[in-house]
Amino acid sequence: MTVTVLGISGSPHRHGNTETLLDSFLDGAKAAGAAVEKVVLKDLDYSACRGCNACHKDGNCIVKDDAVPLFEKMMAADIVAVASPIYSMGITAQLKGFIDRGQYLWARRFVTKTLEFSPEHIARHKGIFISTAGQNWDHVFDGAYPSLTALFHDAGFEYYDNIVANNMDEYKGIKNHPAALKEAFDKGQKAVAVLQNLKKE
Amino acid sequence: MTIKVLAFAGSPRRHGNSETLLDWVLAPMAMDPEIVVEKVPLTEANINICRGCNACEKLNKCVQRDGMDTYHDKIVDADIILLSSPIFCMGIAALPKALIDRMQVFRSRKYVLKLPVVPPERKGKRLGAFLSTAGQDWAHVFDAAIPSVKCFYHVIDIKDADISYLMINNVDEKGAIEKHPTAKADAEKLGKAMLAEIKKRLAA
Repeated sequence: MTVTVLGISGSPHRHGNTETLLDSFLDGAKAAGAAVEKVVLKDLDYSACRGCNACHKDGNCIVKDDAVPLFEKMMAADIVAVASPIYSMGITAQLKGFIDRGQYLWARRFVTKTLEFSPEHIARHKGIFISTAGQNWDHVFDGAYPSLTALFHDAGFEYYDNIVANNMDEYKGIKNHPAALKEAFDKGQKAVAVLQNLKKE
Repeated sequence: MTIKVLAFAGSPRRHGNSETLLDWVLAPMAMDPEIVVEKVPLTEANINICRGCNACEKLNKCVQRDGMDTYHDKIVDADIILLSSPIFCMGIAALPKALIDRMQVFRSRKYVLKLPVVPPERKGKRLGAFLSTAGQDWAHVFDAAIPSVKCFYHVIDIKDADISYLMINNVDEKGAIEKHPTAKADAEKLGKAMLAEIKKRLAA
């Protein structure tokens, strides 16, 4: 069975460092035989979570826009690669806006208790975070991870790996980074191979 | 002397827990005749997200025309800048993150173009505070928000030592903060302390 990979690009800047790194991951996945799709958040229409907690009643979001269909698409994939540059020590407002809309999934899991993922399901769904930062600090990605953890867990994914590259300002772009693009390509290939094996079981 | 307080209420939910916390901090300030308080609910502020175009590194201004045209100047003029946000999905909510990302124009001014953000005589005479609430009861629930909050203040010339934090976890449903044993008293205490400190700094 074909492994499906969804890439979600959370950068407002098309074809920049982060999206290029995501593309490399997706190219690796494609080379390994996966069916690959990329969604660019910038091209979608969704509003910020209103914090209305209506989803705590029946597990459904009352806002009708592109967010919930994208969560459904994500949950139908075997591997999801979520990409955002670091802006002001965190993920972009664009990606945070999408992640916050996942509240209805959290509500289904913990409030209405209508959504549960078995350990087998979680092991067969891999979430990967892809990011770049201009800063050279090692801790520049730390503020991003907890929200990605929330996203992956609420959607039934194992938080499988990070592909991150800092110091973009000095490298003058991802293309000059000595290892990141190859690492992303290799990790794309490997993640698909892991899923292919799991699907054989 | 007029002291200007600019308060961004970052929650998409009006008059919820984080905004109530902000209101409690503002209350003692608003009673002082020297203070002018402006509260800005970000739901009404018309602030687009940063496009990541980096044009501000050359232009020293943002290419977008929206609410930030007004708030840019107000941020420069204010003596006290407050920001409130609930924690959503372990981080600051998307609306205040959009405001923070738009501070990029100040970052470009300060670190790329090496121009002043506030006139030299006003440096060290600005204070900030971050007010936050979270439904989760984990103590670390605020950790991921803080680095972005620090960025917000650093680029507008409010240094670490001049940022206060009041963060209350384990409050979820609207109004839950009213029942919290210490939040209101702590918020009022913070408001009074900031008021006293800014007066001292501005008189110096």
